[in-house]
Amino acid sequence: MPLENTAQHWGWLSKTLHWLTALLIFVQIPLGFYAESLKLSPLKMDVFVWHKSLGMLVFMLLILRLLWRIKGTIPEALESKRVQAGLARAAHGLLYGLMVLLPISGWITSSAANIPVKLFWLIPLPALVGPDDALKSLAAEVHEISVFVLLLILILHIGAALRHHLMLRDNVLRRMWF
Amino acid sequence: MSKVTISITALFCLLNTAFVWGTDWQSSPTDSHLYFAPSYEGMPINGHFKQFSVSYQTDQQSQPSRLKVKVAIASADMGNSDINEAIRAVDWFNIANFPEAIFISEEFVTDTQGKLLAIGTLQLKGFVQPVTVPISWQSLPGGKAKMTGELLVGRNDFSIGSGEWASGEQIGLAVKIWFDVVFIASEIDL
Repeated sequence: MPLENTAQHWGWLSKTLHWLTALLIFVQIPLGFYAESLKLSPLKMDVFVWHKSLGMLVFMLLILRLLWRIKGTIPEALESKRVQAGLARAAHGLLYGLMVLLPISGWITSSAANIPVKLFWLIPLPALVGPDDALKSLAAEVHEISVFVLLLILILHIGAALRHHLMLRDNVLRRMWF
Repeated sequence: MSKVTISITALFCLLNTAFVWGTDWQSSPTDSHLYFAPSYEGMPINGHFKQFSVSYQTDQQSQPSRLKVKVAIASADMGNSDINEAIRAVDWFNIANFPEAIFISEEFVTDTQGKLLAIGTLQLKGFVQPVTVPISWQSLPGGKAKMTGELLVGRNDFSIGSGEWASGEQIGLAVKIWFDVVFIASEIDL
């Protein structure tokens, strides 16, 4: 399998980054809600270290994906209807935007809350801002709204992929697989 | 000014110095700071106490005789209203029952490096433990002075962070405390 994307096919780097990100997001969302639901305890703090570590990992994978996308090419859309193709483009744009907004708003929340972070208990994450209760609440609000929007877009994204695969029986989902 | 006035003034000055018992230094709340930093996974979380007072007495030879620090624990600010609330709990400071910490020292020694040490006791959360505070003293203009210092206190000595927090695995057992306190002097007359 080629490394790079072509006009018809996804290369293995893009595929790997896509599915790795998907896996991380599916762990990340319940982890975030679980961490939030716990009362202050050593467990809560450990769950948050996982959540922050995986979140920054998604963010770094996203930067890699964007660089790879800018540097190379991506396959042409298989959807021939203009409205559907436009919707797909908008959904993908939103997904990328949310994958920036979620880690950044989480990072600001954590920094403004005056909580030092060591990703995977190893790598110190610098504070983006100083302690600030008002900013913490605002960033947490943005983080929470973003995750609900993300869930909505993910339902559309997965629904559309399944529709193409099961009903339209085209290659949209298959060509993202290995 | 007549010679008589000068003589009387001189005499008063002489008498006054002769009968000065020492100096009473009181902290100036607006210029003084008391910081503390527990650690989380080895990284400091900085906080400070907004309300505290320090009194310090020196004798005729400017030697220290007494140091007393009173801290309103509820004034602890760790830069996060949730944490500020959480540390009021029984596991942490149990502020409802122990709102004040008091350090008193009446024994002062100079260590091998020439550093002044105040040997005393810290009363906190119902425990009284020996604590030594290193002190640096610096005179300021206008009859003021500044005291600075830094020390480590073991939180388990006072059962701060008990139960599931007591291991020190996440929240370290040593808590750094440091201060810069500005004092205003008043003489202690006989």
